[in-house]
Amino acid sequence: MKPLFCSMTLTALLAAADPAAIEKGRAEEKRVCVACHGLRIIHIQRLNRGQWDREITKMVGWGTVVKEREALLEYLVASYGDDKPAAPLARSQDGTQKP
Amino acid sequence: MRTLSAALAGFPTWAQSTLRFPGKRPMLVHNDFPEDLETPVEYFDSWLTPIDKFFVRQHLPRPKADPAAYRLKVHGLVHTPLSLSLDDLRKMPQFKVPATLECAGNGRGNFKPKIPGLQWTKGAIGNAEWRGVRTADLLKRAGVKPDAKFGTANGMDAGVAKTPDFIRSVPLRKLMHESTLIALEMNGQPLPELHGFPARLIVPGWDGASWVKWVNDLELSPQADKGFYFATAYKYPNFSVGPGGAAKPEEMEVLEGMAVVSFFSKPLDQAKVKIGSVPLFGVAFGGENRISRVDISTDGGATWAAARLGAENFQFAWRTFSYDWKPAKKGHYTLCARATDTSGRVQPIEAEWNPSGYLWNAIDRISVTVEA
Repeated sequence: MKPLFCSMTLTALLAAADPAAIEKGRAEEKRVCVACHGLRIIHIQRLNRGQWDREITKMVGWGTVVKEREALLEYLVASYGDDKPAAPLARSQDGTQKP
Repeated sequence: MRTLSAALAGFPTWAQSTLRFPGKRPMLVHNDFPEDLETPVEYFDSWLTPIDKFFVRQHLPRPKADPAAYRLKVHGLVHTPLSLSLDDLRKMPQFKVPATLECAGNGRGNFKPKIPGLQWTKGAIGNAEWRGVRTADLLKRAGVKPDAKFGTANGMDAGVAKTPDFIRSVPLRKLMHESTLIALEMNGQPLPELHGFPARLIVPGWDGASWVKWVNDLELSPQADKGFYFATAYKYPNFSVGPGGAAKPEEMEVLEGMAVVSFFSKPLDQAKVKIGSVPLFGVAFGGENRISRVDISTDGGATWAAARLGAENFQFAWRTFSYDWKPAKKGHYTLCARATDTSGRVQPIEAEWNPSGYLWNAIDRISVTVEA
């Protein structure tokens, strides 16, 4: 029962968006967003398509040159849509001690 | 499946183990560049929040300040423009103000539907003793002209690409308040870089956005700044828009004083405790108002009893609360904390949803299991 459930979920996930577009979007995120900020601030959020689209518009207005806008949006919705479970916040190591 | 979804969500476990921020205890990481770090609620176990546990919010990469070259400029509608070195500032009368700093978006992550921005849970708040020069003294020294209504504060940080600079205006009445400071110290130490070295504007009771870090410019003018971080961001609708609702720009008001909030520090949510005696502890903050009471419910809000309030009672600083809970039966319990401030504001069951997710202040609620 369990393997069947897993593969069904995986199929549903892959069917939701074109995997090639998602990969292209992931690469675009790495290329354009990190010039100004880390990716974590994106990955902690769970937003719907309209909200992600407005975030991209805001960042483009702030000087981000996005070449693969559609793919970036598909990737964000597929990975960090508001239907996805909340992201667990990472806890940092103790920075008051020498590593 | 769990591993797969965690990987898809971009949180490989190896990344968590390599995160480390010099001078900071383990913190909840919302972003690593620039650092946005949340204080886990278990660190709220004392009235003063130590610097190494204090939350960090940065809009723009922080500047590297040269203390020798540093000058604070006070200019615009003044009779005598000032350009003061750190030594000049240290020669002026110094004042110490205990004040709680809370990000306007603290608790944004608890709103439904979700709102873009940092998904703070409960820990974008902390209480410290700030020491420095009164802005009122600076303004008296410069001689403010009658037409001035605002002081616009700018720090040494600058926007990347076309990101707007972080600039905030504060009305003159607040700048003339005796507790508003240009602080050089935090908890008896020079301000750390993450918290604004060498100087930070302290605007007690108001949202963290007003507390401009790395501040080196204060301009007096008849109007407030027209930039993004004052004219668009940090605004709240003047009526309740409802979950997912919107307001017109003219219906949005600049945030000033913070809401009344409380947070349990002990025990932790989902903790297992032993039957008998369970100490409850937390903090409560009322923005510009003092906390007058905190009520505790150990039965999901059906009945309430007054908590004991901590001895430290200052306007602008949070107040600790404690309660000796004596559960007589094992089982699952929902604990609630509800603060009231001296203006009569009480925490609501549900925080008012607003388009930017500010001022989350629902009654704090945790679940614990009492074991025999």
